[in-house]
Amino acid sequence: MWAWLNGPGKAFRDPLPSSTNYLSAYDKSGNLLRTRQDSAPRRQRSESAEAELDEDEDDIQKRELESGASEEEVRKGADLRALRRREREELEARGGIPKERVGDMRPYPLNQQFRSQPVLSEDLREKIYELVVLDRLDLKSVSATFGVDIRRVAAVVRLKSLEKQWMEEGKKLAKPYNDAVMAMLPQTPYQEGRTPQVHESINDLPVHPYTRQQMFIPASESRAYTREDAAKAFHPTLLPADKRIPHPELIQIAKWELAGHDRDTRQRMMREKDAEAAAKRAEKERRQADYEARTQVVVKGRRWDFKFEDVSAETVGKDGRGRHTVGLRYGMPLEDRKRGQIKIPTSVE
Amino acid sequence: MPRNKFHGLKRPKLRQSWSKYNLYNFTKVGTPPAANKTFFQQKWVAKSMTRGYHNPQIKEKHWTRMFDRRLPAVVPMDYRYLAENDGSEMALGRGSGLEKAEEGRERKKQKTPYMNMAFHPLERRLDTAIWRALFASSTKQARQFVVHGAVRVNGKKMIYPGYQLNPGDMFSVEPEQVLFATGAKKRRKDSPKSLQDVRDLKEEQRALAMEREQERQEQEDSDAGAATLESDEEREAMSGRPEDQDDPKKALRSLMIRAQKILDDSKRKLSGKRQQELRQFSRSIKKTMSKLRGIEEANVEDTIDGLESGLAEILTKIPQDEVPREVRLDTAEAAEKRDEANNVPEEPQPTEPAISRQTGKVDEYRARKDAELLHAALARANENPIDSSKPYATPWKPREFMSAFAFIPRYLEVNQNVCSAVYLRHPVARPGLAEVPSPFHGETLGLAFNWYLRRR
Repeated sequence: MWAWLNGPGKAFRDPLPSSTNYLSAYDKSGNLLRTRQDSAPRRQRSESAEAELDEDEDDIQKRELESGASEEEVRKGADLRALRRREREELEARGGIPKERVGDMRPYPLNQQFRSQPVLSEDLREKIYELVVLDRLDLKSVSATFGVDIRRVAAVVRLKSLEKQWMEEGKKLAKPYNDAVMAMLPQTPYQEGRTPQVHESINDLPVHPYTRQQMFIPASESRAYTREDAAKAFHPTLLPADKRIPHPELIQIAKWELAGHDRDTRQRMMREKDAEAAAKRAEKERRQADYEARTQVVVKGRRWDFKFEDVSAETVGKDGRGRHTVGLRYGMPLEDRKRGQIKIPTSVE
Repeated sequence: MPRNKFHGLKRPKLRQSWSKYNLYNFTKVGTPPAANKTFFQQKWVAKSMTRGYHNPQIKEKHWTRMFDRRLPAVVPMDYRYLAENDGSEMALGRGSGLEKAEEGRERKKQKTPYMNMAFHPLERRLDTAIWRALFASSTKQARQFVVHGAVRVNGKKMIYPGYQLNPGDMFSVEPEQVLFATGAKKRRKDSPKSLQDVRDLKEEQRALAMEREQERQEQEDSDAGAATLESDEEREAMSGRPEDQDDPKKALRSLMIRAQKILDDSKRKLSGKRQQELRQFSRSIKKTMSKLRGIEEANVEDTIDGLESGLAEILTKIPQDEVPREVRLDTAEAAEKRDEANNVPEEPQPTEPAISRQTGKVDEYRARKDAELLHAALARANENPIDSSKPYATPWKPREFMSAFAFIPRYLEVNQNVCSAVYLRHPVARPGLAEVPSPFHGETLGLAFNWYLRRR
C-alpha cells in the first residue's frame, strides 16, 4: 500500500489545480490519461499552425486575401483561429492540463453508470438569487432560462438567503472550505451576456409504476393513437407525458411557435394563460376556505386552534381499517411509550 | 458493524470514507469472478461486498425491511418533440414508426441502469446525505456529528442518524465540525501545523538537498544562495507564527511571505499576466518595507493588528490624487477616476526636475499599490487564520486524498459557505446514468439486488 501511496497514489494527495482529480482520470502508473500524446490529438498540430496563432490577425487576413481566398473563407479562418486562441488561453490558464473528458469524471472506476456531475458555480447561484429575490422573477422562468431544476432554484435561493443572513449577523462563513471544495468540483459557469449553459434536464418525466407493465391494445390502423390514448390505456387516471412534466408551458410556447405566431404574440398569449391559471387557483382556494368555514368549528386555544369537523363512521370500510378514516384502531396496543422504543420523526416542519 | 479491520488490506472491503487505505482498496477491488461459482455464491459475494459499503452499521434485518424492489427512474423529455408530435407517429408505417432514411448514423439509445439503484433507500438517511454533501469524511463520522448534536434539519436539532430526509429538507452541520472533518490533521496538540505540512517540508528539503548535491557536482564554486535563501525564509515564515516574532520588520516579512502563499492559492484562475504581477509582488514589497520604515517608524508595532493599522495608515497617507496620470491610466481602477484626470490641463513637456518629481510620485504610487495588495492578502489571512487552539491544522486546508472522493450528487444542493444542504428529491436513474453513488459494477449491484429479492 505504501508503495502505491508514494507512487501512483501520490497524485491524489493534493487536488489538481482547477480540475477534478478522480481515480479514472489516471492510468495504473499514476499518469494523467488526458495528457498522454495519443489521447490529445489537438496538441499534435503542426508548428506552423501554432506559430500562426501568435501572428497579428490583420496580417494573416491581408495575406490570405492577396493569395486569392474568398471573403467567406477568410472569415471562417479567422473564426477558427479565434477559437483556437481562446482554447490555448484556457489551456494555459489551467496550467497546460487539458479539460476533463467524460471518462475522467468517474470517481469509481468500476461503475460506468455513475459520473460526477457539475454543480452550480457561485456566480450562477448569486445570479439566480438576484433574479428571484431582487427582480421577483418566478421560479419556473428562472429554471427554464438557466436549465436548472425548479426545486434546485428554490433550494439555491433558500441557502443563499441563509448565507446573507449569516453575513448580516456577522457570523463567520466557512470561506476557505468553500473555496477548496469548489475548486475540486466540476462547475456550471455563469458567463455574463452569453447564452446560459444548461445545467441539467428540467423536463424529467418520472417513470410511473402504472407504465411499467407491458400491454397489447388492438387499435385500428386508421386511428391516430396518441400519447393521451396510451396513458388512458395504462390507467384511466394517468395523465399523458405532456401534462406530467414540470414545464408543460414550454410545450405550449413551442406549439405557438410552430403555428407561426411571432415572439410578442407568444409572450402576450403566455401572459394571458398565466393570468387565467392564477385566477383559477385563487378561485379554488376561495372555495376551499368557504368549505372549511361551512364544515369546521374553530375553537381558539392558548397555543393551538382546535378544529372540529363532522365525520362519518361509515368510511371505515368492511374491515374497519379504512385508510382515510379517523380514530384509533383496536386490537394492537400502542408501544410508543415503552422503554427502548425509538421514535424517529418522519418529518421536520 | 465490523469494528476491527474496517479498512483491512488483506480482504479489502470498500467503505464510505475518505481514508487513504480505502482509496488504495478502490484500486485493488474488482468485480468478483463468477466462472466457478453457483448463482447463490455469486449473489452472496455481491451482497457481502455491497453491504460492506452501503451503511454496514444498519442491521441486515432492518435493511431488508427498507429494501424496495421498485426502483425510481425518470426519462428526460424534449418539449420541442412533444410539441411537434402527438405520439401517433410511433404507430406509422408498419406499426412501429417510420423507418429512418439514414441508418447506422443514429446514436444508440442508452439503457437506464436500474440495478445501480439497488441501495437507493439508504441515500435518504441523514448521515449518508451529510457525507455525500462533503460535510464529513465518512458516514461513521457523519453519524457521530448527528448523535453529538451538531446537525440541524430545517433549523431543528436532529439527533437520529437514521432520519429519512424528505424532499425539500435542509440540513446544516456546524461549520467548525465540517472544518475539522475535512481539514488537514494536526500533528501536535499545541502546534497549528499539519502532518501534511511536515511531510511536504521534508520532501521539499530532500529535493533541495538532491538539487544542491547535483549543483555541487556540476560546479564547485557556484552560489546556490539566492534560491535557497528565499525558500529558507519561506519555511521560516510558514513555521513561525507572526505574533511570536519580536522584530516588526521580520514579522512583516514573514507575513508578506505568507501573504504571497495565500495569493498563490488563488493563482489558478488568474491569467498569465496577473501571475507575473504576483511574482513581482514579493520583490516590490521589499521596497515597500523600507518605505514603511521611513514613513512612520514610531507607528510600527510588533503585532499583526499594529501592522494592519500601519498599512491602513499608509493607504490614507498616500492619496490617490498624487498618482501620476500615465500610471493611473494603465491601472484597472483608473476607469473610475478618469473624469478627474480629464480636468487636469495638459502638462507641457516635463523638464528634468519635473521628471524626478514624477518618478517620486510613481514610487509612492507603487508603495500604495503594494500596501493595498498586502492589505488584501491580510484580509484573506484573517479569513483563514493560524490558530493552534483549533482542532484542525491552521491555516485550514483540505485533508489529503480528499479530491479523489469529492463529488456532489444531483439530488443534493449544497452551500458550502454556510455548511448547509437541501435534499432536493430522491435519487433516480436516467438513461445511461444512475444517481446512487456506488463503487461497484452494475453486475455486482444486480446480483445484490437479486439477493434481497428472495421471498419477496
